[in-house]
Amino acid sequence: MWTLIFLIFLSLVLGIGAWLFFIWAVKSGQYDDPEGPKYRMLDDDEEPDNKKGHP
Amino acid sequence: MERLTCSHCLLSFPASDALRTEYDGTEHVFCCNGCRGVFLLIRNEGLDAFYSKRRWDSPGRPAEVAKEPDTAAFLADVMEVDGDKELDIFIDGIRCASCVWLNEKFLSRAEGVSHVRINFATHRAKIRWDPAVIDISAILQRIQAIGYSPKPYRESEQIQARRAESRDLLVRFGTAAFLSSQLMIYSIALYAGYFQGIDQKTKIIFEVIAALLTLPVLLYSGMPFMRSSVSGLWHLHFTMDSLIATGSVSAYVYSVYQMFRGGTVYFDTSAMIITLILLGRYLESTAKGRASETIAKLTELAPVEARIVTGAHDISDMPSAETEMVQLSALKTGDIVKILPGEKIPSDGIVICGESETDESILTGESRPLRKTAGSELIGGSINLFGMLIARITRTGRDTVLSGIIKAVEDAQSGKPQIQILADRIVGYFVPAIIITAIATTALYLLKGFSTDHSLMIGISVLVIACPCSLGLATPLAVLIFTTMASSRGILVKGGEVIENLSRIDHVVFDKTGTITEGKPSLREIIRIDREAEETYPLKVAASLENLSEHSLGQAIRDAWKHDLLNVSDFRAVPGRGIEGRVDGRRCLIGNRAFLAENDIDSLPDNSPITSLDELTDPFERSGDTVIYLGWSDAVRAVFVVSDCLREEAKDAVNAIAERNINITVISGDNSITTAAVSGAAGIRNAEAGMSPAGKRDYIHALQAGGSHILMAGDGINDAPALTEASVGMAMGRGTDIAMESADAVLIRNDLTAIPYFIGLSARTYRIIKQNIFWAFFYNIVAVPLAVSGALHPIVAAGAMAASSLFVVINSLRIRKKDKF
Repeated sequence: MWTLIFLIFLSLVLGIGAWLFFIWAVKSGQYDDPEGPKYRMLDDDEEPDNKKGHP
Repeated sequence: MERLTCSHCLLSFPASDALRTEYDGTEHVFCCNGCRGVFLLIRNEGLDAFYSKRRWDSPGRPAEVAKEPDTAAFLADVMEVDGDKELDIFIDGIRCASCVWLNEKFLSRAEGVSHVRINFATHRAKIRWDPAVIDISAILQRIQAIGYSPKPYRESEQIQARRAESRDLLVRFGTAAFLSSQLMIYSIALYAGYFQGIDQKTKIIFEVIAALLTLPVLLYSGMPFMRSSVSGLWHLHFTMDSLIATGSVSAYVYSVYQMFRGGTVYFDTSAMIITLILLGRYLESTAKGRASETIAKLTELAPVEARIVTGAHDISDMPSAETEMVQLSALKTGDIVKILPGEKIPSDGIVICGESETDESILTGESRPLRKTAGSELIGGSINLFGMLIARITRTGRDTVLSGIIKAVEDAQSGKPQIQILADRIVGYFVPAIIITAIATTALYLLKGFSTDHSLMIGISVLVIACPCSLGLATPLAVLIFTTMASSRGILVKGGEVIENLSRIDHVVFDKTGTITEGKPSLREIIRIDREAEETYPLKVAASLENLSEHSLGQAIRDAWKHDLLNVSDFRAVPGRGIEGRVDGRRCLIGNRAFLAENDIDSLPDNSPITSLDELTDPFERSGDTVIYLGWSDAVRAVFVVSDCLREEAKDAVNAIAERNINITVISGDNSITTAAVSGAAGIRNAEAGMSPAGKRDYIHALQAGGSHILMAGDGINDAPALTEASVGMAMGRGTDIAMESADAVLIRNDLTAIPYFIGLSARTYRIIKQNIFWAFFYNIVAVPLAVSGALHPIVAAGAMAASSLFVVINSLRIRKKDKF
């Protein structure tokens, strides 16, 4: 029985953790621009220096 | 500074930034490594056809005279963050992902700029910089330098409120979804326990946890439903919200009651109803997101300042008289204003002196620049192209043409959801009927001598059974699949109500310019009359001359010539007529026939293959094309035919629509010859020409009053009132923002064949929604009498509820069938 109660408690704690994470995500604007990330992941952070710039 | 055009993205950029690559013997220039990389990738894959196939025919923003960004307007919004400055600005001119990328990279490379992030949907940029290293005007100039214009970002209260509401719904839905998923663990265990047997202590623990998990779903997530149903109850006004509130609360109360009696609980039903309906509401609110920004965009068109002539009373003194800048709101009827080339016309008025051409295309749809001389009427918001104009203001404020368009959009938007009203009315009867049935059932059982407990339980079970669980799922799920299907075909749908309207469409109305045509004049034919000249020589001369002009017809000729230009001296432009200049030592003229004739160029060269110019050009003029003449040394040497071409796929789209027994009409602000010629070429028999924006709206209104259901497809601001008026408004993705905001759906890829596909998809979706709703109600119709008789076993009820939801899901998936178009 105590195993069961412990597992229930654990699942609730994990669930509440996920829920708090979700609230944080909404509040910090993670859902404001659902369109952008799919393009951003294709961007290279650094371009090779020898190819870009003023010839 | 010399500017080049990128071979890949067609962006115009300073030659000093160019990246040059040799490929297949020709040199290509690129604006950036990204473009070069993609270009090489496409070529290496053997997909060269992309470059000939792509259509970059966006009208873009009107050519404004590049002004220094007004830094003062931004200062009020600058914030201080950790010693750095931060500012939100709106970047105008962003059209695609690469624009966002370009702006982000370009700005973040400036020294002192620590953070740049642009929102893809709203084009709002958040910029953070170190004020000691770089100042705000340098940042704004940087944006301007790559061809975009920074504007202060201000949200209207309405938009802020809507965003807050959408976010609130998301939090409520997220919370409900989290709790429901936790709840499911215990509910499934309890259902399993019902069949297999369960330890009594475990059962109680699970039930208590389930009850605790459901409570916040009801009290927090379900609060909007509770609040609206309580206030509705006060006025005896029943809506969908009342049904959701009654159902979920009674399911909860019933379950708590059963918990103490040791019966079966229904907490999951209670939580699921709220979660599913909230999901539907959230999807709806994000989809509608941008709709009400229309009006804000329209008012942006109006200029903010006017240049009033103060120092002169005599017309001849006016052009040189002193002027004073005043706010538009201070402008009065009768004021004399001066409008410089490239400026917006401040308000409606009449030209007193000066000569120029104006671009009214965004307001009236007239694709060609209009000549304005003394006595001509001007429309506020249109753009003065070449010469200085002095005008007397005739209308200001709410009386202007632009205000009229704005008002038309407002009116049409406010009068839309009639279908919603009908649905609510049905629910308005359904809810009291169920409540009365529940009360009557309880009373009946009491009269028959059953215990209070038992009678109440049966009454509540009626309420629970009547809960619109699958009803709440029926529409949103189908709409979601519909939207996904549509967007994979390049159609952006703003709201679910479009499905019902689309499925009834029996008449499609196309705007001409920019919708069934490319929307941009292009050179269709060059007829060389002088056989001695080298074959490409006339075009080279024409392009060199037109290169110095701003005229849109001239641009078509300029764009057709991709090679070196000749030197032009003694250049002179005569608005509305043509231009002249000295090329290769000869005085060359290009323009309309009258312009050349006035300058004694009216004959044909000796070696001409034709005998009469009229014979040559008449057919073109009759079919609505514009003919431009080029001449030198007393003779006409070449004729250029410029026209706005029909979209390639227009005919296929028209045929596919006609196959569905749907009428098709073309309406246009252009003259009747052009309109008839273009619609004839697309295979459309009905055409209405010379329509103003309000005229288009009235035309749609009249047809709809006659019982037709109209789909209107358009691209310009001039179409905005008609797009909102029509049952379904569809905007072209390369059209103006306002057209897109006013429409119910946007064709991202400008592919007209998506329209018949869209009509078919909607018809299928609507049929499936009706089946779903029928099944959801059917379930109620069967289950409610069973509940009343007291014969419905709780587990059977739960099973039926799940089966009904499952049916709705599987049925909705049928929308994903493949189609011809």
